[in-house]
Amino acid sequence: MSHTDHILVVDDDRDIRQMVGDYLRRNGMRVSLAADGREMRATLDTSDVDLIVLDVMMPGEDGLSLCRNLRAGKHRAVPVVLLTARDDETDRIIGLEMGADDYVTKPFSSRELLARINAVIRRARMLPPNLQVSEASRWIRFGDWRLDTTARHLLDADGTVYALSGAEFRLLRVFIDHPQRVLSRDQLLNLTQGRDAEAFDRSIDLLVSRLRQRLGDGAREQTYIKTVRSEGYVFSQPVVLVGDGA
Amino acid sequence: MIPSLRAPWRWRPRTLRSHLVLILGVGLLVAHALSFALLFGERMQATRSMMLRNLYEDVPVSVALLEHLPADQRSAWVNRLERRTYRYLLRPARAGTPLATDRARQVTGLIDDALGHAYVLRPRAVSSMPERYEVELTLRDGRPLTIEVTPAPMPVARWLPWVLAAQIVLLLACVGFAVRLATRPLAQLAAAAGRMDPAGQGAPLPQRGPSEVAQAAQALNLLQTRVAAHVAERTQILAAISHDLQTPITRLRLRVETMEASPEQDKLIGDIDHISQLVREGLDYARGASVRLGPPVRLDLTAFLESVVADYQDEGKAVQIVDRTDVVQQGHPQVLRRILQNLIDNALAYAGAVETRLRIDTTGRTCIDVLDRGPGIPPDQLDAVLKPFHRLEASRGRSTGGTGLGLAIALQLTQAMGGTLRLSNREGGGLQATLSLDDDLQADVQR
Repeated sequence: MSHTDHILVVDDDRDIRQMVGDYLRRNGMRVSLAADGREMRATLDTSDVDLIVLDVMMPGEDGLSLCRNLRAGKHRAVPVVLLTARDDETDRIIGLEMGADDYVTKPFSSRELLARINAVIRRARMLPPNLQVSEASRWIRFGDWRLDTTARHLLDADGTVYALSGAEFRLLRVFIDHPQRVLSRDQLLNLTQGRDAEAFDRSIDLLVSRLRQRLGDGAREQTYIKTVRSEGYVFSQPVVLVGDGA
Repeated sequence: MIPSLRAPWRWRPRTLRSHLVLILGVGLLVAHALSFALLFGERMQATRSMMLRNLYEDVPVSVALLEHLPADQRSAWVNRLERRTYRYLLRPARAGTPLATDRARQVTGLIDDALGHAYVLRPRAVSSMPERYEVELTLRDGRPLTIEVTPAPMPVARWLPWVLAAQIVLLLACVGFAVRLATRPLAQLAAAAGRMDPAGQGAPLPQRGPSEVAQAAQALNLLQTRVAAHVAERTQILAAISHDLQTPITRLRLRVETMEASPEQDKLIGDIDHISQLVREGLDYARGASVRLGPPVRLDLTAFLESVVADYQDEGKAVQIVDRTDVVQQGHPQVLRRILQNLIDNALAYAGAVETRLRIDTTGRTCIDVLDRGPGIPPDQLDAVLKPFHRLEASRGRSTGGTGLGLAIALQLTQAMGGTLRLSNREGGGLQATLSLDDDLQADVQR
């Protein structure tokens, strides 16, 4: 595979955009730079872009509205990693609601950004989602549960909230994105890697058993996540997107 | 005065209501009593002078009549001569003492005057309760005549005490009503002011009621508007500073990363991380006063604590749950998570290993404990460390890389959410941070 990932970096600060660009180029990527929304659209129209790194706080059109417009236009399939200025719950939730695939908080390290970019591209390429979940809906229903994809927690039939750890959420998200499809441990490991590359990840089996426990799957009878001997796991429930909080 | 006033005064009026009731009630009762006393005094005076006038006109006629009657017919007439306060007896006066009161002497003198000093009067007091005295004289035929005087006020009408009582009841009812009218809007205002939100997100106070109270409400609303504007401005300034700092810090960080790897580079990156953490937490703290909670959700706290701890465990940190109970309660998961993370981060920085506990305390409140075996905090500093930028000088304060804001933010968020945060030193060393959730987010324990 001689494909070189083409990354579009959109930031109003010239130095940041160039340093990020240089770093990504050194790591074998093709990079285009844009200072604002106009330049971003121009680049998107003239070449194929694999991923957009988008600064949230920009004068004029800010990153959030650019992201929303992207999701409504013809480039809706291009993954977006947001650069947010604050490590704020609200910003993160809004960003994810606007259709961003991930985010990095300023000030970030280039290595962290590269890891995020690689993870998002890997996710998009390895298993193209058969549900446009990330763009389409905040609420996903399966079995007796509802998943709030922005607040990242589960709700039962009574509306009681069951919090998920980051890893549990990522794993559930992968399962939900690919229902009725056998996923190998390697695939799961790749797709659910934590935010930090060097972070200690538990074994997938342990994580799956934790998630099963949360979903109420017993050791014998498994309603949600079934084990496929010597192959991996399959999410066996049908998944329904819910328009709003209903 | 009243002896109980001298004695240690147990019940002190504290409220405006009791003050008003006391002042108005006692004042009205005293005024009432005074006017009745005056009325009765006047009435007694009038009765008395009437009695004296009657006596003065009556006695000479009666005595002259008895003088003219034959001795055996007198007893038939004395009953007719009897009046309300005196009567005539055909016998000598009973044994008694000399007159004791001026009034008695005055009456005797009056009788003497009325009779034109024609008789020798032998007055004596025969009874003091009721006051009664007898004035003996000798008729011209040598037989004794005694005038028995029993001064008495006019009897009071039956209905009068009832009218008095009714008046007092009416007065006290008016006092109660007036006091209620005055104090209730105040109490309502105080309750509403207590619910006011400094960030100006709550509803303004209702400007109703008596004009004084409405004015106070208006003034408080104005104050709240100013405070809210102030808070908003402060937050805005800090957000602007924070944003403007983030960009140069990001540039700095990216630039340092292009340097050749060296111990110097590591130190620079460490410093930059510290600066950016400070900027971030400073902003968090400034924003904390106006944190938007949103509506609470029904939260499974057990699952919640497990998820927080699992995140730490996935990063390889030594965080554990040592005790848990099943609790479902109203709560704000995002804020709660932030508080717990700050407490756990703090404990990790000082002790390296952390234990957490979910329990119901003896008063029924849900508590989450964060426990460590670190150096603890000197008892006199337990409150101070919750203040922003407070640093301990001893071993606990050094080289942890914290900003001094983590606990302050935790406290601020706890208060915004409705709860209490308490630090205490553990037996055997280490610190315990206890987060208690408010009762109005009532716990219902499952299973």
